[in-house]
Amino acid sequence: MTRLRAGLDAACAPGVGRALGGFAAALALGALLAAGALAREHAALAARAGLESAAAAAQVWASDAALVYLENDEDVDEQGAAPRWGYLYFSPSLQKARAYSLRDGAIVVAEDLEMKFEAPPVAAGWIDSGAALAAAEERAGRAFRREHEGRVSTMLLTRGTFQVGDPDATTWTIIYTSPRTASLFVMVDAARGTVLRTWRG
Amino acid sequence: MPSRLERHRGSALRYCALAAAALALLPAASLAGRAGAAAPAGATEVKVERVRPRRESLPTLRFLKDNRAFFRARLDQLRETPLERRGGAAAIDPRFLAYPGLRDGIAAAGDSVAGLDEARRAHELFARINDLGRLEAQLDLLEHLLAEQDARLGVLQHDFTGLQRTALAIVVSGYPRAAEVSSVSITLEDGAAIAVPISAEQRDALRRGGVLQIFHGLVEPRSQVLEVGLGGGPWAADSGFVTLEPPRDRLTLLRLDLSPVQPAAGATGILASTWLQDAELRGSGSSRTGP
Repeated sequence: MTRLRAGLDAACAPGVGRALGGFAAALALGALLAAGALAREHAALAARAGLESAAAAAQVWASDAALVYLENDEDVDEQGAAPRWGYLYFSPSLQKARAYSLRDGAIVVAEDLEMKFEAPPVAAGWIDSGAALAAAEERAGRAFRREHEGRVSTMLLTRGTFQVGDPDATTWTIIYTSPRTASLFVMVDAARGTVLRTWRG
Repeated sequence: MPSRLERHRGSALRYCALAAAALALLPAASLAGRAGAAAPAGATEVKVERVRPRRESLPTLRFLKDNRAFFRARLDQLRETPLERRGGAAAIDPRFLAYPGLRDGIAAAGDSVAGLDEARRAHELFARINDLGRLEAQLDLLEHLLAEQDARLGVLQHDFTGLQRTALAIVVSGYPRAAEVSSVSITLEDGAAIAVPISAEQRDALRRGGVLQIFHGLVEPRSQVLEVGLGGGPWAADSGFVTLEPPRDRLTLLRLDLSPVQPAAGATGILASTWLQDAELRGSGSSRTGP
């Protein structure tokens, strides 16, 4: 499997200027704090909160558009809510994908995806991000965060991409990252809310 | 207490109002008329700017974009050729099956009304008090038919007015005194451009208070910038930018009043205003179109 970039590298090359590393870390911390301060101005919502607005826009774009992918565009809190979520729709007739990012119930980004992304639509009855995160936390996420100073970096909903054995399954994948160790991936069945598997990468 | 005739008159007015509201759902015909020459009360003025407004740039779907090679590889593995396809017919929406019944009811009601009308003509003079009783019975029947028609309109309203999708209609009114405008162009945010030539008849109509609809279509429910351009002698390549935020599942109207436009200011002199079309049938039979 191609190695995924989960946002933070697990290991840093030794001896590559610790001073520079410290400076970069300070900059990153400052950026994170600034981003956090900005994010706090907007209400954190579960993933389903923006679904109707995104779907309405997608139907205008293409009447056969279907949701194929969903990802948090800003940090997820402990309830599985985020100030901004990104929804990706694919139109078989146009052979194009279009993304909508919603914040406070309004579309703040609408853009065509430059890459080809002919993904199958996710199943309609997917559990919301809060329930998915709770299942992941219960199984392995909480322990990972505690032991490795980890955090939830990404929650994404997709169908078939990560589930090799059952490509029809719609799943949530919750990715925990840590500055000290490899990332933790927890896959949750989006229909039943059960954890299907976990892995490190 | 209102007399029976007054009540019938009220019902008839209600029915007319219902029909008018139903007609208002027809898009193009009613919009131009409703926009009217006078500025609609409650319309919000929007600024036509010379420079395209800048927008906050936010990243989206970062994980997907960072790992595009992985996703592409996985999707390639998922692609399959279907071996078997079902040939069964899909279920028909039961509402559609019920519509012929509605149509038959309307036809039957029409026959009844025609019969009543013939009977009424045959009794133009009431020689005896018993004829008044018959008239009352006929009025009762008319009231009953009106109630049934009201119910049918309610069914259609429920099925179709709830399907309003996010749409935008752009109308032009007024005409500049200073120079001729040969066309008005609109460029939507997705790059689609519409150029509407203004004929001599339309120019004359605009001068006399008429309204010209230049666009009516679906738009995404989000903040977006439209480019408005004027064509003709002094307006060559002149354009302005209007920011709109059409709400979801509503019809937004944008009116471009050209009357105050001067060659010096160009398209930024357009007086633009926006409002929402609100046409729906109420339970009481009243109709409302606002503002």
